Amino acid sequence: MDQLEALLRGFDAALSAGNLLWALLGVTIGTAVGVLPGIGPALTVALLLPITFRLEPTSSLIMFAGIYYGGMYGGSTTSILLNTPGESAAMVSALEGNKMSRAGRGAAALATAALGSFVAGTLGTLGVTLLAPVVAEFAIGFGPSEYVALMALAFVSVSTLLGSSRLKGMASLLVGLTVGLVGIDAQTGQARLSFGIPALLDGIDVVIVVVALFALGETFDRLLKGTGGETVEPVRGRAVLSRQDWRRSWPAWLRGTVLGFPIGALPAGGAEVPTFLSYSTERRLSRKGSRFGRGAIEGVAGPEAANNAAAAGVLVPLLTIGLPTSATAAVILTAFQSYGLQPGPQLFSESGPLLWTLIASLYIGNLMLLVLNLPLVKLWARLLTIPAYAIYAAVLVFATLGTFASGGTTVDLVVLYALGAVALLMRTANVPVAPAVVGLILGPLAEQQLRRALALSQGDPTVLVSGPLTIALWGVVALFVVAPGVLKFVRLRKTC
Amino acid sequence: MAIPETGDARESIDDHESGDDVGTGDGPAGDDGRTVGAAAVLGLFLLALAAVTLFDAASLSRAGAGPLGPAVFPGLIGTLLAVAGVTMLVRSLRQWPSAPGPAGVPAGRLLRLAALVVLLVIFAVVLPIVGYVASSTALFAGAAFLLGSPHPWRGIAYGWTLAAVVFVVFDRVIGLSLPAGPWGF
Repeated sequence: MDQLEALLRGFDAALSAGNLLWALLGVTIGTAVGVLPGIGPALTVALLLPITFRLEPTSSLIMFAGIYYGGMYGGSTTSILLNTPGESAAMVSALEGNKMSRAGRGAAALATAALGSFVAGTLGTLGVTLLAPVVAEFAIGFGPSEYVALMALAFVSVSTLLGSSRLKGMASLLVGLTVGLVGIDAQTGQARLSFGIPALLDGIDVVIVVVALFALGETFDRLLKGTGGETVEPVRGRAVLSRQDWRRSWPAWLRGTVLGFPIGALPAGGAEVPTFLSYSTERRLSRKGSRFGRGAIEGVAGPEAANNAAAAGVLVPLLTIGLPTSATAAVILTAFQSYGLQPGPQLFSESGPLLWTLIASLYIGNLMLLVLNLPLVKLWARLLTIPAYAIYAAVLVFATLGTFASGGTTVDLVVLYALGAVALLMRTANVPVAPAVVGLILGPLAEQQLRRALALSQGDPTVLVSGPLTIALWGVVALFVVAPGVLKFVRLRKTC
Repeated sequence: MAIPETGDARESIDDHESGDDVGTGDGPAGDDGRTVGAAAVLGLFLLALAAVTLFDAASLSRAGAGPLGPAVFPGLIGTLLAVAGVTMLVRSLRQWPSAPGPAGVPAGRLLRLAALVVLLVIFAVVLPIVGYVASSTALFAGAAFLLGSPHPWRGIAYGWTLAAVVFVVFDRVIGLSLPAGPWGF
């Protein structure tokens, strides 16, 4: 009952005029950047990180969470109406969704996506509410060895699951880990990979890396590939569901949620796998002669729900263990850190009110998103008519703003442009950039925990596999590494 | 995690191949010449990064460190970088002959990319001198032009509006001081 009371107090705080405004701002920005191709929630939160110096933690975290949830809603609008989806987790809804909109059923597709996102988002948030304190309670007993194993698991799963091949995911992760090395070593005070440049002694700012990898990489890539091939389907009619659409949608929403939340909540999660699983589940459950492949509403409803439930699930390891499994979660972790807060089991006892206000604001944000997305979907769709050159030019303006705001020396800009070139190379080589962000942020924490573990055991490495939990976790890590057959299989599903 | 049946996966992939909706060249088989070429260059880059990381790690002293010295983690990352780099290089060289499509990029596009980089450098140089609004307007207009805007002059108007709004919101409302030019914005 403590929990319920804490949550109610959280609602009380989240319903204050100021916090409602921050939530509204967050979900509005989130929807907009989700709709616009080329900008995602990870980049947006990174660009807004500098304002954490000005805002109190509750306000900015509520806004960031709103952007995170809003990005998921907006992404589905783009994938349904535009034939080239921007956000990878939304790719699956494009399969059936875009066919539906070409057949003139775009409004129904958008409605089932928004309602499914709401149902799954709310159930997912309920899952976070119930599960997070339990996991936090459990994780209080974690020592450094458990953290090392969990982070190793996050590394292998992120590099395996977020991309087209394990090798490419690993390459991306390693680039991120290397960038994370730059700066003064906390234990011995020696500079690593700094080449005697004073500006590099503090390390490379997360904002700069995220801006380079997402904004510059995307813009450069756009420039090289040229434009063309994009058609926006107009939305006809109102976004309402017929009785038959309802009947076919709601089981798919629930199935998507059931698939999405647990996978997202695993320390090896991410939102991509459950959407693919949901799509193939719906496909397998569909009867012969169904509309699958020609625009089946279940094929939108299921993956959209799975996507949003997984996004909520990702918050469980993020808040309770401090383990981000997606790029946006990693950037949100940085936001916590910039307030001197370290997400982990202690966060619930130390910053309980902040956390419960944040969770309460997720319920509120979801409701706002439903209102924003269902009646106003045509307005959002109009964002898609903004020409690409204007979007990307604006992305550059915001990218340089973010870099300037986070430090803004000449060295920073040189690093930004150099990393932008690396990002272009990665994109052209079809290498995902999200693992790099996770590696960058999790790498230094992993080294710290590894050191702590070895210091406690006085250098005995067997401490890393000393308990049943660590052995089990390393077993899963080994499974990821040595079972390419199984994983190839998951990847095959991903491409479906 | 549910393990789906094999037959179904095959079906889905066939669908993917025939469908014209999803433009992701997933899987090694579908990579075109440019992707394979870029992967080869990335492999070389990873090797260079491995060399720098390992070299840097070798120069660190163990003095004052606990059981895990400052070079262990970089050494591990550097080794993995080298492995990933070699694998990627070998894999792309093997795929090279069968990859369809040209590896190169049209010269005009490269020129545009170079121009954009020059524009970004100029932006960094003039930002403290002429202030945020003027330099961002120029950046927006120039980038929009390079990205294929049909109305280059309108870019200046849009860019100025955007830069002014950003300046008002971030500098005046949020209080993040942005560089002001001689005219104060």
